[in-house]
Amino acid sequence: MTEYKMFQGCVIGNRVPFLEASSRKVLEKIGVQVSDAPFACCPDPTGMKSFDSTAWLAMGALNLCLAEAEGKPIISLCNGCANTLRGVKYQLKHDSNKMEAINKELAKIGKEYKGSIDVKHFVDVLKDNLGGIKSAITKQMSNLKVAVHPGCHYMRPTEWMESDDPLRPKNLKEIVAATGANVVDYDELALCCGNAVAGPFPEHGDAILKQKLDSIKKAGADAIIVNCPACFQRLDTAQRDVSKRYDSEYNVPVLYVTELIALAMGISSEDIGLKNHRVRRNTAIENL
Amino acid sequence: MALPLSIDFEFRKLIMDVHISSEKIKYCYQCSRCTDNCPVAEVQNPFYKEVTNSFDPRLIVLVTLLGYKDVTMAVAGTKAALIPWGCTVCDTCDTVCPQAIEVTEIIALAKNVTSGAGLAPDNIISQAKAIFENGKAIPPQPAIERRREQMGLPAVAAPDVNEVQTLLKNIGVDKKL
Repeated sequence: MTEYKMFQGCVIGNRVPFLEASSRKVLEKIGVQVSDAPFACCPDPTGMKSFDSTAWLAMGALNLCLAEAEGKPIISLCNGCANTLRGVKYQLKHDSNKMEAINKELAKIGKEYKGSIDVKHFVDVLKDNLGGIKSAITKQMSNLKVAVHPGCHYMRPTEWMESDDPLRPKNLKEIVAATGANVVDYDELALCCGNAVAGPFPEHGDAILKQKLDSIKKAGADAIIVNCPACFQRLDTAQRDVSKRYDSEYNVPVLYVTELIALAMGISSEDIGLKNHRVRRNTAIENL
Repeated sequence: MALPLSIDFEFRKLIMDVHISSEKIKYCYQCSRCTDNCPVAEVQNPFYKEVTNSFDPRLIVLVTLLGYKDVTMAVAGTKAALIPWGCTVCDTCDTVCPQAIEVTEIIALAKNVTSGAGLAPDNIISQAKAIFENGKAIPPQPAIERRREQMGLPAVAAPDVNEVQTLLKNIGVDKKL
């Protein structure tokens, strides 16, 4: 049995830990073992990478070294962390100039990156364990109509992530369908949540999110299922901003995919901290 | 604003080096598939009213390849300029480019250059500061630590902040903060 090093990331670990609670419970139920390591920030592929790409590579490689020291693969609970760690791996593997430069920096702190361990996004681990998920489900979610939002960095860039179709992703749909929930298709499935541009340009971020939400509403979804804490926060908290800016009402509840699975496995909403969400649960979710 | 016509050869060389195979960017034939699929271009300035006030990945590839550093930074010297900071890093342009040009990497380089000049948006600078100071983009907070405990979650393993700071100082990140 593979044991993974848990990489919950800064947002989940230090801001929205209830997403980690449902993830750990689901992984335990399907027999995926995890242990902790003193990882630093991944760092953010939209923030630190934009600030200094060399620092992004070096810190990413430092984190990979920590897992390499134990010879264990990493499981990431976040699109951003998975994107960084897989992106750093990819760039260092294919660019010997970068590999040399980064290892020179790592040598100064007594480390060496070899490229020997794998990094998995937790959705890919769930997908490999669909059988285990199905057999642990005690409550079919067939009354629920949901839209999925896998988020950009789960599947793009394709060369780094090697996870799913970059423009017509299907893995998250498959996992959600295993809970018995009905997945509705919508036009803007592959559209960004607008998180990165919303920092310097909130008006553009909100305009993008509005397109996404309009498309989801049109499809008649009771909830949006996500697999990234940045997308989660954006969709959960910014619906109010979008409502205000466009003088309309957006209040679709957002669930982490592991929250949905945990509920379907009979784990109580108290145990996974569902009350910490900003968008209130609607009747569809209350009735689960 | 008229197009500034000064060519920065140093900048051009940096752009050429973005791709592992530096020839790659030359094969851009300006088909505009990147811009047509860019979510920011779609909401920001759909009618290309003003070249220097549009977020247009196609144009960014062209002007960076030509070495027009000033256009890339929108108006040179502007903090948090739309070009390059309008990019939301969704990587859609890279996905749809028929020539497999890594447009997002080109834009990231332009962001790096403006960051070096102290012109990054404030949220980007504060994140880099937090990472330098704590080893984490979001430092631990007592209220969240309590919530973790209540939910039966283990404490987040603390990173070696000294190690992170030494690594970042050697790269010169501290001087840009």
